[in-house]
Amino acid sequence: MSDLSLLVQMGFGALLALSVYLPLRCGQLSLATPGFYVIGGYVAALLSTSWSALSGDGAGYPLTSLALELVVAALVAAAVALVLGRPVLQLRGIYLAIATIALVEILRVLNLNLAWSGGAVGIFGIPQPFAGPGGYALATWVLLALVCWLCARLEDMRLGRAMAAIRDDELAARCMGIPSADVKLTAFVISAVIAALTGVLAAHFLNTWNARQGGFDASITTLAFVVFGGSRIWLGPVLGGLVITALPELLRPVGDLRLILFGLVILLGPILFPQGLITPERLARLQQTL
Amino acid sequence: MQVGQRSRIAVALGAALAMAAGLAACGPRADDQPLQLKGGVPVGAVLSLTSNANAYGQDQQIGLKLAQDWFQQRRNANSQDALELNLRLEDGGGDEATASQAFNLLIDAGVVALIGPTLSQQAFAADPIAQRRGVPVVAPSNTATGIPQIGSFISRVSAPSTEIAPLSIAKALQLTPSIRRAAVFYAQDDAYSTSETVIFQKALTDKGLKPVTVQRTQLNDQDFQNQITSALRESPDLIVISAQAVDGGNLIRQLRELGYRGAIVVGNGMNTPNIYPICQRYCDGILIAQAYSPELETPVNREFVALYQKAKGGAIPPQLTAQAFTSYQVVAEALQRLNQRQPLAQLSLGEARKALMAELLGGQYDTPLGEISFSPDGEVLQQRFHVAQVRMQPDGRSGRFLLLP
Repeated sequence: MSDLSLLVQMGFGALLALSVYLPLRCGQLSLATPGFYVIGGYVAALLSTSWSALSGDGAGYPLTSLALELVVAALVAAAVALVLGRPVLQLRGIYLAIATIALVEILRVLNLNLAWSGGAVGIFGIPQPFAGPGGYALATWVLLALVCWLCARLEDMRLGRAMAAIRDDELAARCMGIPSADVKLTAFVISAVIAALTGVLAAHFLNTWNARQGGFDASITTLAFVVFGGSRIWLGPVLGGLVITALPELLRPVGDLRLILFGLVILLGPILFPQGLITPERLARLQQTL
Repeated sequence: MQVGQRSRIAVALGAALAMAAGLAACGPRADDQPLQLKGGVPVGAVLSLTSNANAYGQDQQIGLKLAQDWFQQRRNANSQDALELNLRLEDGGGDEATASQAFNLLIDAGVVALIGPTLSQQAFAADPIAQRRGVPVVAPSNTATGIPQIGSFISRVSAPSTEIAPLSIAKALQLTPSIRRAAVFYAQDDAYSTSETVIFQKALTDKGLKPVTVQRTQLNDQDFQNQITSALRESPDLIVISAQAVDGGNLIRQLRELGYRGAIVVGNGMNTPNIYPICQRYCDGILIAQAYSPELETPVNREFVALYQKAKGGAIPPQLTAQAFTSYQVVAEALQRLNQRQPLAQLSLGEARKALMAELLGGQYDTPLGEISFSPDGEVLQQRFHVAQVRMQPDGRSGRFLLLP
């Protein structure tokens, strides 16, 4: 069953990678994903531990309550992303990256100091909607499949094409009449919602939630998923998230060397595949050989 | 786009396959399997051997190793203690997910009991997994409030900070009765530090010493000048610190360098000789409450100290090592008693885990920590605690924890 719980964590990695990928798809380097992930986790942790009406009749945590948490988390994250997105997305490139790191840091310090978030200890004893990791694996992979489907649909949709146009040349896109500010904001909000939904599942899965779940380190890890897997097509971040999350666990049999090997893989990936493991060209070639 | 569509199908297939494989793995429950006794009774340990908690994990790893050696010696001397343990150690990292994953891995491998994880924060994530699957956990170093209350299968040999922390305050007041103004420092982004400082502050208030100032630091801070100058403005004569080894060591050093001469009390996070290279001669005189005394005159502690000194070239064993040794000893002795009453070979894995937990909580143990037993919910009941003062050599490179009477 440990393979199942690893599958769950891999699913979380892939979802967070897609959340970084979406703004990147319109050329926005946003590192805010862990911030929304933490928001989702706190929504789940607070609702499930302090609102007793949600716990049902005592025999396990009802799935309807989990669904409610998902909805609330999505709404909260979308609202935060909408309010913050307008001013923040005026920035470009590295300035946007710094602003979003600041957002993650502000959320972390708030969560450490506000009374209801449990400080550095966080919230523990989060009830379980599923009896074992199997349920979590199902929920996570269904969510991942949905998000993957959305990303694949984007390729053919007006929104997706507008995003690609903005990534290639924002000025030219605006000249063509693409409302670049709205498109970027939409991508940012969808990205926030994906991260928050992942946070809800992660909080239940981990049994405990605290401010350490989302910090600067998490921003860099999620970015690494995308850099490693490739940012030109959605399969890249999914693969990056799956592989980088699974690798330290799969390498356990090598013992003390495992983190060194893991570091080597992270190092060699971008050196050998500067565009990421999966690029549209490589994928097309693979299709041909098959 | 054709490429997009095809890859979509491929991924859908992949996901379906993964899910099918996953659901198939759900089928047979591991608990009904017989206990695998080949090569010894399987026991798992999850310690932080990597990440920034590894300073603690290394100390604990030595403790487990020495406990294995000690039981080997006893087995050689007396064939009655014939039950052999097969200890499997996994790295728990410093985060919740890695510790949970290691717990899952070992439970699936069929261990009867688990030792670990190193950090309380990890315990809040990993212990519920063991509880749900009915695997006894003995925590060697979790001091946060509420750990044994996670469930009936969770116990610890590390006394909670609620019991230990106030002792060092009382000792400081006994040594310097004129103390009137206490200042408190703690790392606000660290679970251990924030929960311990609450206990320290309550102990101070109980003694009529409401802190004149409470300063917050961060775990990764190097420079504490701001906090120190605003604390020294209040002219404290006692400073109480809850921090981990590295930041706490630097904090003490800077406190002394900026002219503070009064008493310093620190918490369990600095209860390791690894602070000597950080604060060097400035470590001298700080007070730390101890759950372990190397000077305890019992046969088991003398043997433990001798083993440690043989392995580490004459050094004095720290509390974390003694507690890790104790956790292994508790599991091993409980297994032996259980095996004598009801041979383990006849039990299924699930039954063995359940019986072991009952046996574990019911026992009395003569350990390096002294005589210990457990309360029904798994909290350690320990007779004696101590307060130590750090005494550094004049060269500032080495020192020792001197137990105060």
